[in-house]
Amino acid sequence: MSDTVRATSPNVPSENQDAQAVESYLLSTLDPVGRGGRFWILGLLAVVAVGAAAWVTQLVNGLRVTEMRNYVSWGAYMGNFVFFIGISHAGTLISAILRVTDAGWRRPITRMAEAITVFALIVGAPMVLIDMGRPDRVMNVFIYGRFQSPILWDIVSITTYLTGSILYLYVAMIPDMPILARHARERGRSPRLVRLYEMMSLGYRESAEHRRRLALALGAMAAIIIPVAVSVHTVVSWVFGMTLRPGWHSTIFGPYFVVGAIFSGTAAIITAMAIFRRAYRLERYLLPLHFRHLGKLLLVLALLYAYFTLSEYLTAWYGGIEADRRLMELLAGNTAYGLTFWLWVVFGLFAPIGFLLFPGRRSIRAIVAASVLVNIGMWVKRYLIVVPTLQTPFIPAEAAGITPWYFPSVVEWAITAGAFAAFLLLFTLFSRLFPILSIWETAEDVDEARARHVRVPAVAAPQPGSAVRPAMLLVALIVGGLTLLAPAIPTNAVGAQEAARVELRRASEGEEDVLVAAVTVGGVPAPGVTVEFFAYRHLGLLALGEDETLDDGTAAVSFPRGLPGNLRGDIRFRAAVLSPDSLAGAAAETVMSGGVPARQDAGEPPRALWSTRAPTGLLVGITVLLLCVWSTYAFTIWQLMRLRGIKGG
Amino acid sequence: MVIDLAACDGCGKCVTACSDKHFLPPDREWLRVFKMKDSENGAPYWFPRPCFHCDDPPCTRVCPVGATFKRQDGIVLVDNERCIGCRFCMAACPYSVRTFNWGHPDNPSDAVARGYSPEWGYPRRVGTTEKCDFCPDMARLGKLPHCAAACPMGAIWFGDENEDAVTSGPDKEHSATGANEGPGAAGDRQTVRLSQLLRDRGGYRYLEDLGTKPRVYYLPPVNRRYPAPGEPDAEKGAPVRGEQR
Ligand code: SF4
Ligand code: SF4
Repeated sequence: MSDTVRATSPNVPSENQDAQAVESYLLSTLDPVGRGGRFWILGLLAVVAVGAAAWVTQLVNGLRVTEMRNYVSWGAYMGNFVFFIGISHAGTLISAILRVTDAGWRRPITRMAEAITVFALIVGAPMVLIDMGRPDRVMNVFIYGRFQSPILWDIVSITTYLTGSILYLYVAMIPDMPILARHARERGRSPRLVRLYEMMSLGYRESAEHRRRLALALGAMAAIIIPVAVSVHTVVSWVFGMTLRPGWHSTIFGPYFVVGAIFSGTAAIITAMAIFRRAYRLERYLLPLHFRHLGKLLLVLALLYAYFTLSEYLTAWYGGIEADRRLMELLAGNTAYGLTFWLWVVFGLFAPIGFLLFPGRRSIRAIVAASVLVNIGMWVKRYLIVVPTLQTPFIPAEAAGITPWYFPSVVEWAITAGAFAAFLLLFTLFSRLFPILSIWETAEDVDEARARHVRVPAVAAPQPGSAVRPAMLLVALIVGGLTLLAPAIPTNAVGAQEAARVELRRASEGEEDVLVAAVTVGGVPAPGVTVEFFAYRHLGLLALGEDETLDDGTAAVSFPRGLPGNLRGDIRFRAAVLSPDSLAGAAAETVMSGGVPARQDAGEPPRALWSTRAPTGLLVGITVLLLCVWSTYAFTIWQLMRLRGIKGG
Repeated sequence: MVIDLAACDGCGKCVTACSDKHFLPPDREWLRVFKMKDSENGAPYWFPRPCFHCDDPPCTRVCPVGATFKRQDGIVLVDNERCIGCRFCMAACPYSVRTFNWGHPDNPSDAVARGYSPEWGYPRRVGTTEKCDFCPDMARLGKLPHCAAACPMGAIWFGDENEDAVTSGPDKEHSATGANEGPGAAGDRQTVRLSQLLRDRGGYRYLEDLGTKPRVYYLPPVNRRYPAPGEPDAEKGAPVRGEQR
């Protein structure tokens, strides 16, 4: 079948499309599903069930059922996470950017795009939970959360994004709700469904005031959701970028991920468009024009992504720092990863670019083929970002006789498949309840179609996000302290046979401070006795030197300079007789001042990234950003609440 | 901690002692001895790698819940009662120090009997990370960490930087007061000034340029007291165990 022909075929002459026709046609997509549809839904349910069973296995046995191990400690789940968060950018780009720039052709696409965002987030975000060793402790993140951790940034920004995109999807659905309620009532659908539509309509009617308020709410959401989306994928990339690992610790990781996200998101929309177009026979609204416009966008993004990929890996390879060199050998050399990488370059990047550059006569097919390749390719690419880096640690694991190698286990594959099925299922069910093309917007489009035609690309601005929570206190312990508070026993002498006595004191000899030990036997100074001097340390005796006693029975070594003592600067010294053997064992110990007083790190721990207390600047920044975003949400909700109060119109 | 690469002969007794005393399952080593060769013509040497207890620890920076924390005495510990198992710390540690309880651990009854503290890290729990802890429970008793006490070459020095002293030497009697009984009482144990040791022997820290400020210093493998790995008679027990399964 030729799509180009169909769209302009006399069966669906565009001049026959008025708002009424649009409405009834789109409503017909809600009719009960046929046999094919039922099989599709049952099939998806089965795959989701398999995934769920796999997750239960993992919950029971721990992450041992995956192939992740101590070197490759993140794997397919992280790849899925990045992938789904990536395609969630579809909604933002197509819908918000095109809405903000008032690109008329967006209208039949917006709802689908926004729904992709919501469902991709609903499926993608729990991937982190699935990846966690202790999902039962997830509340710890709220109880003990530390804002220095990029994971907290992720949680906060993804929550913000999910809230925002649900709100956004919903706001744009409101004008359809009265229509849906009426339709459901006419068709004799269950009263509960009617109730649902009515509730969701918030009393919206076609009136100037209603329209104005809705436009305000929609405009605010469209504007704020763009920076939120950019921030989300930026902080996702920072989970990798903030570590010191080769291949991850990269300054372009934020934009690289954002471009990759929009790239895969656009491809996801095109794929979804193709599927719905076929399944619901939407050829008269999803025109080749839409595919072509999105195809151009996809081409630009593919080139951009190719450019980022080149600059990321070429610099690593050319610079050839040891760690980077080893990564590049694994990633792009003669290995399984290397093969995958180059296959991706050819089929995930060059082939789509080729299809999009030279679409030929069957343009829709070429564009859809390119999109499907991009979708598969981007999953592979995410995998290649996560795994090979972990496989090239700084200290080569091979030096310990270990070969870290990773390929997802059956459980991991099952959960991955389940996630994809869940995504499709949510999407399908959504399209059973609400028309997948926005009725009011498509009708608007039809009204406007004859008059003009606008198309504007747009750019977004970055902005990270997070929230505030107090930190916890260190379990501060006293090993160091114990050491320094050495017992303050006064001078004592340990007697030996023949009543040898040692006395230890400090004296000055000219310029120099010395430790002097006086050895007496029966009260008479003993010459020619070797004495060794020590200072007590927590784990042992620090030898300070030895000396032989003179005629007056004294031996001396220089007083140790700059040796730390306890908090008061006291040090416990020991002098012990080494020889002759008859006197050996006689010793004296004295606590003397003269050491360097130990520092006492009392009080609060410092504000540092590693500390329990986050740096003030970080907290302030996160708070300000969050306030901006959430107050916009509040504004939108306020506008919606006032819809009901508006008198006729 | 100071590790004398010139004295280490790769016998792996430190690893065994650490693993025994911490009841480590066979799939992991907290302390690992690598066979390193820095450049093509350089000589190979043994490289014991504990946790470096970094002063700016990347693992602790990224922990979302503060389950990995740095105490005021500088020791970095993991609290397996709080850890959520996200494994971000494992990805963040550039020295691949951390290990994870992938499955349900087998806790011997002795481990269970002692009860849990981050100071010794057992009994272990499924889905949490763990790593070398510098044996703070031993330091409380005035004893060396198990690895340092077990090293027959005295290659591992340990002490308190605040005291500017490190101690090494095999723990012959394992007597409770061994360290403080005066010369001779604790075998070949000796204590030296840290600053002087580092000055005289050219002490350095591994991957200093990463900025993690490790608290473990290495003394370069010059004038070795043992045959280098690869020389005849050298491979006598390198602690090479299978990959963790
Ligand atoms: S060596 Fe690794 S685990 Fe140990 S403190 Fe440093 S970063 Fe953390
Ligand atoms: S695995 Fe545990 S210790 Fe490591 S970062 Fe996550 S919560 Fe913290």
